[in-house]
Amino acid sequence: MKQSKELSERTLGWLLLAPVGILLALIVLYPVAKLLISSFHTIRLTEPWLGEPFVGFANYVRAWEDERFWGALWNTILYIVITVPGSLALGLGLAMLANLPFKRKWPVRLALLLPWALPLVFAGLIFRWFFDFKLGFVNDFVSRFGFDPLPWLTDPILAKIAICITIIWKSSSFMALVLLAGLQSIPKSLYEAAEVDGAGKWLQFKEITLPMLMPAIFVALIFRTITAIQTFDIPYAMTGGGPGDSTETLAMYIHKNTLDFLDFGYGSALAAIMFIVSIIATSGYLRYTQRSAGRD
Amino acid sequence: MNLATMKTKSMVMLAGLIVVVNGFFPAIWILFTSLKTESELLQFPITYIPRDPTMVNYYQAFTEKPLHLFILNSVIVAGASTIITVFVAALAAYALTRLKLPKRNLIMSCLLAVSMFPLISLIVPLFQVMRELGLLNNYLSLILPYTVLSLPVCTLVMASFFQDISPDLEAAAMVDGCTRVQALFKIVMPLAAPGVFTAAILAFVNAWDEFLLALTFLSRESMRTLSVGITLYQGEFAFPWPLISAALIVAIVPVCILIAIFQERVVGGLTAGGVKG
Repeated sequence: MKQSKELSERTLGWLLLAPVGILLALIVLYPVAKLLISSFHTIRLTEPWLGEPFVGFANYVRAWEDERFWGALWNTILYIVITVPGSLALGLGLAMLANLPFKRKWPVRLALLLPWALPLVFAGLIFRWFFDFKLGFVNDFVSRFGFDPLPWLTDPILAKIAICITIIWKSSSFMALVLLAGLQSIPKSLYEAAEVDGAGKWLQFKEITLPMLMPAIFVALIFRTITAIQTFDIPYAMTGGGPGDSTETLAMYIHKNTLDFLDFGYGSALAAIMFIVSIIATSGYLRYTQRSAGRD
Repeated sequence: MNLATMKTKSMVMLAGLIVVVNGFFPAIWILFTSLKTESELLQFPITYIPRDPTMVNYYQAFTEKPLHLFILNSVIVAGASTIITVFVAALAAYALTRLKLPKRNLIMSCLLAVSMFPLISLIVPLFQVMRELGLLNNYLSLILPYTVLSLPVCTLVMASFFQDISPDLEAAAMVDGCTRVQALFKIVMPLAAPGVFTAAILAFVNAWDEFLLALTFLSRESMRTLSVGITLYQGEFAFPWPLISAALIVAIVPVCILIAIFQERVVGGLTAGGVKG
């Protein structure tokens, strides 16, 4: 009797998990399989008479020889390398400021939530305007200090800087929220003890805050990296990849190949490359969580 | 009050001011711009506070483009995907916290892996799948992926809330003749209402904000969601900033109100998904 009850509990468990399984199979597993298969075929909707022949690694070889792909990959890596530490630094700063003993907590909390809730593409639109050559307030500021206005969005290097600033602003608030929760979980007694021992603020930060915050920093960094790999909305809204394709990211190039050039085979190969890059990052994260779970 | 405490107090005030300005200035800028007239906007040097506030941009934002349809589309897509996400995630969270399942940790790890999955790399095959199913320019082509997008974090958030509810209550209910599933919906879900709510807000904001899939799957103008509709406001030559600002304010305000009311829960949910993982 007891055995049958346990069996039915297990059956019920699988039944309750079934909707998740079906959704993941339809939206993730099946498309992943389709993606990998497509990447080995030529699928051009503009030339339907070609059919969909198997071409082996031809699409990957094409990517290897495609300068625009390397440019997009390089830009994506550049955005990751600059904005991940950048938003960590700004986020940590904001979290430290927000952790001070305010009488009213809600304005500060709302100020951290607002950029998080703002759609990425809207942040791109708004900052595009901040950086507008003639009507933007950044150049207004610059010229008030007696400098010449800068062509922020039409110069390849300045455009990258403007995009990085926007990404850092937008993503630092999520960083700050995660780090703030980490800060608040550090016991006050540690600081009191350090105070008694005569440790200064900087020493307290280095010896207590940073080590205790490490797990939260790590989680925030991984999530930031994963989203940075997929950077699309902000450059799309700010420059559309221009001038030329100097600010284009991998995600934008994939989108262009599929939706504008209707070259699904090549687009799939590019997406597969992005997929592999993400898996490498994700597996590193999973290994870390499993190790820390084993410690407990 | 002595000088030292006054100094610390003003330092704390200054710190708060920095955080608040950093968070609010783009929204304030957009609000001011939405109240400017076209001629004031094109003035040089630029003005900061509108000299001659006008509401005409809000009127035009609705007449130039079908902004009301964009709002409706966003509400339908975000609302439906939120309801489905919460329902599906609640079932999964219950199974993972209450029932003795083999490989429970493996399932949790898989969910976490999915939460970090780059959905963007799937636009190509998803586009093909939606085309095959005839779902392009259909709300379902967004509702289903958005559900998957929020499913992992919502499951984790609800699981952490379910864990805090005593199993005795369910046991009592089941002695009274409730089934397991009835116990979930009549006992556990109401008691875990804050968690359910948190999950719902996270799912709603995720769906409300998404851009790339909406841009790709709903190409017809009348089907566009707010994020896509407003981004594509730009005309052939000029960028109608006052109109866009007004439309942005219309799009941002509902979400702002939502997170302002439930800010503590949103923060709790965000960090539960992040820090516990």
